[in-house]
Amino acid sequence: MSTWRVVFRKELRETLRDRRTLLVMIVVPVMLYPVLLITMEQLLIFGMRNLEAEASPVAVVGEGAAGLEEVVDRFETLRRVSIGTDLEGAIRSDSVTAVVSVGPAIEGAGSRAVVVLFDAAADRSIRGQSELARAVAEWEDSLLARRLDEEGLPRSFAVPVSVADSSIARPDELGGYTLGRILPLLLVIMTLLGAFYPAIDLAAGEKERGTLETLLTAPVPGRDLVIGKFVTVALIGVVAAGLNLASMLLTVQTGVLQATAILGLEVSISALAVLVIFLALIPLAVLFGALFLGIAVGASSFKEAQNALTPVYMLVIIPAMLPIFPGIEFGPLMAILPVAGVSFLFRDLMTGGTDVGLGALVLVTTSLYALAALAFAARAFGNERTLFGGGGEASEVPSGSLMDRIRARRGHGEVPSPGVAVLFIVFVAVAFFWGGIPLQIFFRERGLLAAEWLLLFAPALAFVVLGGFDPVRTLSLKRPTGPQAAASILVIFGAMPLVWVIGWLQTFVLPVPWELLEGLEELVTAETLTRLAWLLLLLAVTPAICEEVVFRGVLLGGMRTLEPWRIIVLNGVIFGAFHLSFETVIRFLPTAALGMVITWSVWRTGSIWIGALMHLLNNGTIVVLASIPALQELFSDPDRPPPLWLVPVALVIFAAGVRLLRNMTEPPIAGLEAPGSIPPSPETL
Amino acid sequence: MIRFERLTKRYGSLTAVADLSLEVRGGEVYALLGPNGAGKTTALRCLASLLAPTSGTTWVDGVCTQDDPVGVRRRLAFLAASMGLYERLSATELVQYFGQLHGLEGDRLDERVEAMIELFGIESFRDRLCGRLSTGQRQRVSLARALVHDPPALILDEPTIGLDVLSGQTIYEFIDRERARGKAVLFSTHQMDEVDLLADRVGVLRAGRLVAEGSPQSVVADTGEASLARAFLSLVQQPEQGVGS
Repeated sequence: MSTWRVVFRKELRETLRDRRTLLVMIVVPVMLYPVLLITMEQLLIFGMRNLEAEASPVAVVGEGAAGLEEVVDRFETLRRVSIGTDLEGAIRSDSVTAVVSVGPAIEGAGSRAVVVLFDAAADRSIRGQSELARAVAEWEDSLLARRLDEEGLPRSFAVPVSVADSSIARPDELGGYTLGRILPLLLVIMTLLGAFYPAIDLAAGEKERGTLETLLTAPVPGRDLVIGKFVTVALIGVVAAGLNLASMLLTVQTGVLQATAILGLEVSISALAVLVIFLALIPLAVLFGALFLGIAVGASSFKEAQNALTPVYMLVIIPAMLPIFPGIEFGPLMAILPVAGVSFLFRDLMTGGTDVGLGALVLVTTSLYALAALAFAARAFGNERTLFGGGGEASEVPSGSLMDRIRARRGHGEVPSPGVAVLFIVFVAVAFFWGGIPLQIFFRERGLLAAEWLLLFAPALAFVVLGGFDPVRTLSLKRPTGPQAAASILVIFGAMPLVWVIGWLQTFVLPVPWELLEGLEELVTAETLTRLAWLLLLLAVTPAICEEVVFRGVLLGGMRTLEPWRIIVLNGVIFGAFHLSFETVIRFLPTAALGMVITWSVWRTGSIWIGALMHLLNNGTIVVLASIPALQELFSDPDRPPPLWLVPVALVIFAAGVRLLRNMTEPPIAGLEAPGSIPPSPETL
Repeated sequence: MIRFERLTKRYGSLTAVADLSLEVRGGEVYALLGPNGAGKTTALRCLASLLAPTSGTTWVDGVCTQDDPVGVRRRLAFLAASMGLYERLSATELVQYFGQLHGLEGDRLDERVEAMIELFGIESFRDRLCGRLSTGQRQRVSLARALVHDPPALILDEPTIGLDVLSGQTIYEFIDRERARGKAVLFSTHQMDEVDLLADRVGVLRAGRLVAEGSPQSVVADTGEASLARAFLSLVQQPEQGVGS
């Protein structure tokens, strides 16, 4: 028997003996889930019927309301009561659910103003208002009919156009449409949950129990070990999703749910669609299994792995939710978006309108993502730093609080560890959110300037000095050479148009909010030279110093021991995330891309000055260009594509800059200090 | 049988093992001593191909770890301090699993598993899940797991840590037996009494460097101390200067 199968059989056997996995995999979908759904539905129906069974107490007030009172009295769903003059108080005290106030006849107009007063935050009141509105409409009809009769006009005189909506959707299509918005998300979540615990158990759990070291001393090629574990996780993910799918379909298709009948829905998903959904679940489960396994193996305990995977879980759910939102269509871009493509495919299969080409694109791209995730997992399992940590059997840095760890490094000429550097960034981000935003609200541009210096630059400096870290190594304070600076200028001027293209491509998925654009325009556009100088200080010089000290200083300094690609991607992503706000999701991708380019340049040269120069040129160029009236139009329309000729030119400049920078620097060795930094004194474990 | 040739392992700017050279012959028990953080586990992990050395090589039964890591793993038994048992496998299933990982199949696998169960007295709890075994029982299963493929070299990383006297005795008997069978045994420990009892030779690591080597008696004599424990303390507490490998 091949080794991976030996590993797989053992992992499967052990996993099936784990109650937690069985609970998530079988009990939840097969029993709890339908029970929960039916219970919720019953409660909903019970509540609705309760509301319907009871006649809503309402009041009719005002002059000439007698006719309306007669109509209200004919409604079985309404019960007319008398109230005092405090109409609002009567509703708030639940004496009535709604009040209709009939105003005096408007002189010469032949009409009256009628106001229906109700509480939009109370179900009973909403129902009272709805019924009362029907009564008012009926009263209005009767008044109109009387007038027409008096004038000897036919009833149709007042109805020049008769409108009737008629949906062509069959009940089964309507059912598919309704459930197609909910079920895909549930299926993705269940697949994810199915793979979540086994991945943690088979990776971090194995490390926590001390079995991984034992296993790795057996003559098992790393590839077989990863495949055996990964097949187990993926299989459990598929089984969990399959069981969930079957359980859901049985629940909704056998007519158990009364809500479908009440709403006039039928749920009838064809066997072929179910088969395709199941087939699409396989690469999705593979993707989750490999991704989770690769991340979980880096954690040293079950709890740590849970903490590491929870943000991934949240990130995965966002694309899975896209089909719920109206206006986002299933096209090629959505099809290649990880997880979102599968979610859209499920929705289309359930509504019966599937584009075969898009479906194939989803299956192919998801399989490719799954393979990439598998390669990532295999790499993680082959990395001794991931498996045993970076410090071998013991570390000179004690465990304990952050301050303990920082104090332990004082006077050692050390740099912060990756964890400490990230914690610092979290601290800065929280401080900037709670302190920087109020500063900007109250003091506008001056507040932004103060926030950058007081909440970014000053804490970074304090962190390095008080933490006893080596400032030269931590902040990469090496002076760059002239040619390095020249090459970095080429890199940034090549990268800027490419980042613009990324931002433009993004508008196909995420439209730019106009309010944001107008706000940004107002901020970066200078009309006088004095204003231009101020904006350059505020938006170019200040971030080039303050943000670089934080991101290419402390963060990069702490991460230099990681693998190069991790350093660059993580720094870019964190830099992009730092610039996120509720309105500026669209800034993430371009900012992250720019962050990666700057990080690579600083990593390569070991000089933060290079980062500051690039940041300054990028921001400064935007401010200057936006202030040139002839160019304003070009930048103010986000839907307008960048000039095509710019792309190849930018690529050439970017590639030339990167090549020059590579040729004039040695690649830093992963795990060692920044190039050109002070060599540490020999220390031993 | 087991050989370290100028092994160095660094983590960034930290040196865990520095220029370590030593040899353990067949039928010999070698005790690797050192305070916490001296580099014992790192050295053993390099030998077992769990860690890649920064420089130098390690050998087991004529096979170089760095050239043929899988070949080396076939030739050694590694017993980590944590024991490393799968809680949701029974004792028999666990021994079978590691036998399969070592390429044993069919009758040969059954024979070896039964032999281990008998040798380490596992019969009475063979079908019990490992998570429900006592510490002593877990140690026996751990030994059976490590020896199921009958390798010529044994690495034991602090094998008696956390064990009571009776369970420790099982380990001592096992080491004696394997020495008699011509196996090379390399173990790390903090217990000087078990070194006195078992080791033919000892090596003392301090800050990643081998600062003394020889029979327990010669190490004691060289330091001029009265016992191995005092000799050890004197060696690991010396200042860095004047100490060579």
